[in-house]
Amino acid sequence: MGDFGAVLEGFASALQPIYLLYALFGVLVGTAVGVLPGIGPAMTVALLLPLTYTLQPTAALIVFAGIYYGGMYGGSTTSILLNTPGESASIVTALEGNKMAKAGRGAAALATAAIGSFVAGTLATVALTLVAPVMADFAVQLGPNDYFALMIVAFVTVGALLGSSVSRGLAALALGLFLGLIGTDTLTGQQRFTFGIPTLTDGIDVVVVAVGVFAVGEALYVASRLRHGPVQVIPVPKGWRSWMNRSDWSRSWRPWLRGTLIGFPIGTIPAGGADVSTFLSYAAEKRIAKRKEEFGNGAIEGVAGPEAANNAAAAGVLVPLLTLGLPTTATAAVMIAAFQSYGIQPGPLLLQNQSGLVWTLVASLYIGNLMLLVLNLPLVGIWVKVLQIPRHYLYAGILVFAALGSYAVNFSPIDLALLLVIGLLGFFMRRHGYPIAPLVVGMILGPMAEEQLRRTLAISQGNLTALVSSPFSVIAYTLLALLLALALWARHRERRANQRVTEGDKEVSPAG
Amino acid sequence: MSKAGGPTSAAGRAAREGRVRRIEEYALGGLIAGLGIFTLVDTATIVVPGSANAMGPRTFPYFIGGLLVLAGMAVLVATWRGKLGEAEEGEDVDADARTDWLTVVKLVAFFVAQAVLIDWIGWPLSIAILFAGAAWTLGARPWWKPVVIGLAMGLVLQAVFAAGLGLSLPAGPFEGVPFLHG
Repeated sequence: MGDFGAVLEGFASALQPIYLLYALFGVLVGTAVGVLPGIGPAMTVALLLPLTYTLQPTAALIVFAGIYYGGMYGGSTTSILLNTPGESASIVTALEGNKMAKAGRGAAALATAAIGSFVAGTLATVALTLVAPVMADFAVQLGPNDYFALMIVAFVTVGALLGSSVSRGLAALALGLFLGLIGTDTLTGQQRFTFGIPTLTDGIDVVVVAVGVFAVGEALYVASRLRHGPVQVIPVPKGWRSWMNRSDWSRSWRPWLRGTLIGFPIGTIPAGGADVSTFLSYAAEKRIAKRKEEFGNGAIEGVAGPEAANNAAAAGVLVPLLTLGLPTTATAAVMIAAFQSYGIQPGPLLLQNQSGLVWTLVASLYIGNLMLLVLNLPLVGIWVKVLQIPRHYLYAGILVFAALGSYAVNFSPIDLALLLVIGLLGFFMRRHGYPIAPLVVGMILGPMAEEQLRRTLAISQGNLTALVSSPFSVIAYTLLALLLALALWARHRERRANQRVTEGDKEVSPAG
Repeated sequence: MSKAGGPTSAAGRAAREGRVRRIEEYALGGLIAGLGIFTLVDTATIVVPGSANAMGPRTFPYFIGGLLVLAGMAVLVATWRGKLGEAEEGEDVDADARTDWLTVVKLVAFFVAQAVLIDWIGWPLSIAILFAGAAWTLGARPWWKPVVIGLAMGLVLQAVFAAGLGLSLPAGPFEGVPFLHG
């Protein structure tokens, strides 16, 4: 295979000392920021984007690969070690990992998370290496109507299927699509929704929106209901002997592999990426566990599986991102924005035109993953320190970096004003259960979808049946319809189950 | 600040908070639908050049306007049927705490101050104001600590941007200091 040589060249390029340093920098910064509570991978990438502005593209992408994987590692450290009473775990790792840490087995939880992330990340990156060229070859044959179908699938899954409220998910998506409209129409050069403001003619910068909605929105929201008092971090026993014993290993390796198998495919399809895969992995591990009673009390399988799934999905997300230019998660949407700021357009032609760049990026994923494994456990003391940053400084700092990120785009105070407005939007969205991801994905994908739609209709001279004229598009819409039916059915079942539970509560409560 | 009087006043407060949330939900749904209507109306003013082919610059905005109206209405209906949005949870969010609007207003005010002042007093000072103001609002004491940290942060970031990235943030009174320029 000719690709093998290209992969090796990628390694040769990524292994240059200066690029190794960039990878190390990305990995460390990504982990450090990812450890900070409330900062997910998407916000990590968005906040750190300005740091790479003047790097050349290859170096910048290597830093990004490090930040991307590092953010994932950091997040698991947070959910295992941070003791926050009363929070129903939004991150699956916290369910078991937190319990393990409280039982004095924090080091084992961290170790199985880190090694599992490494195993899954490496296997999934291998899969990415193998799948991406095939996918790109296939993607070259896709027409504009096929792309439009893919984008519709992404819109519906990200907007309607994933959140707890369909109407709020759709509203977030529509808001994102509207933000994407603002600016100059690429095909006719007409201004749309610019309100006569000159800065808006180029559109709103995606970085400003991502930083606003993630960083400013989050800071304002957390500040409005800040948990006061000291930060409680669960202590981790010192010494490598406490990391993992023989039984931990034997209980972990199968969940790691299963998590990889669940995570990677889910990451590649537009179905919400990492979160869905962690839930599925957790459910799977719980179902097949020999010691079911341990689940909820610190079962190591419940950390090993979801963490592996999480990282495998993170690699899987890169498949549609690199080969189709299709972001399926908020993080991927921010990554696309980062690519575009270097004039790199991810898509089927990227592997042909800039294969050196792509394979260097992939190679640095392998390298970054290894660095994370080596650095993470020994440096846990530092991450704990980071976790203990007083919250008033942490959120003030987030605001400072958000301001820096958007100001550095154009050196314009108008961007700061825009940032605040979008931050307030993010604040109210969080307050009222509107998911954030559809807004970011809608903003990035909206203009692309419009372009593909108009291309389709230009070719067909306005004939709408062109949208479903290819087998691929028919399959995509059919799968979407099936997915919707499945989701409705699942929701119905869930509601009935909930009813049964609440009715059960009523029967119990008078007696209790 | 008044102390919590007892169970009845606490319950009354919770009910009032619930009512406020509901009003906010209606307002949000209404705003989204309103933005949709505005989109539909404003789309009609987009110039369509004569050469436009099958689908001009208006079609997609019409579609999005319609989607906004539908989604806004759906939120209104859901709210009316009692399905309120679930507020997001987070590691640092106290689920039982009341919304502290004063804090939000103060943070917004410091942010506005920074945005307005940056062209006048430069990056390091305006960032010091934002950092110190925000940290003080969130409970940093004594007051001079966040001021010192904020000023140091502004200067370090300025120097990092100048040395590492070759970008010159506006230096304000520090104009002319060599290591602050790219």
